Amino acid sequence: MADGLQTVKNWILERHPEREDIASDLDLIENRLIDSLSFVEFVFLLEQESGTAIQMETLEVDSIRTLAAIEQHFFKTAVQA
Amino acid sequence: MPARPVAPPAGGLGWANLGMDIVSVNRVRRLLTQYGETFFERMLTPGELADCRTADGLDILSLCGRIAAKEAAFKTLRVRGRFLPWTDIVVRRSDGGWPLVELRGPAAGMAQESGISEITVSISHDVDYAVAVAAPIIAPTPYVPSSSSSSS
Repeated sequence: MADGLQTVKNWILERHPEREDIASDLDLIENRLIDSLSFVEFVFLLEQESGTAIQMETLEVDSIRTLAAIEQHFFKTAVQA
Repeated sequence: MPARPVAPPAGGLGWANLGMDIVSVNRVRRLLTQYGETFFERMLTPGELADCRTADGLDILSLCGRIAAKEAAFKTLRVRGRFLPWTDIVVRRSDGGWPLVELRGPAAGMAQESGISEITVSISHDVDYAVAVAAPIIAPTPYVPSSSSSSS
């Protein structure tokens, strides 16, 4: 797992201490691990860790629905490097 | 797993889906402390931020109320697969202090698709939480005369 993705996972786990782990295919939205308010902070974090600017207005829900999707959309280059 | 029941869509004559939201003052205070006011520029327009400003800086309860109102308004639209378009659902304070919702850009488009012409909201807060409830105003359906003639 890329360092940035691990940071993202840790960030979610810190806000949900009742969880010990997050499966890569767990739906973060359906399971309320990311809500509207934390979404804005989450985008800040993603920009910081992936090094890319993100337009919230055009961001597709499915691109951050699971850790696997986040890895695919934001950390693919880092994984391949 | 059994199939989930299907909820009625947003809009439609005689049907209004309410939206409600609650926002924790502690959460918003932490965000303000950690990131500063610029964080909220992604969520609130300059006019909304001005409404929340006092001589001592941003008023946390006002901020929480605006955030709750936007989320409540968005919930009335019942849109799937989209994030809340924060700065396109604008909640301003009117003369008299009542909140007014203005829909812009994509939010206005989502409302139009649902037959919603406007959204009305009410905000309340007390110490630790702000809550808001929103109701859509359904656009009147234009009268379309039937082309078929009736024998009665």
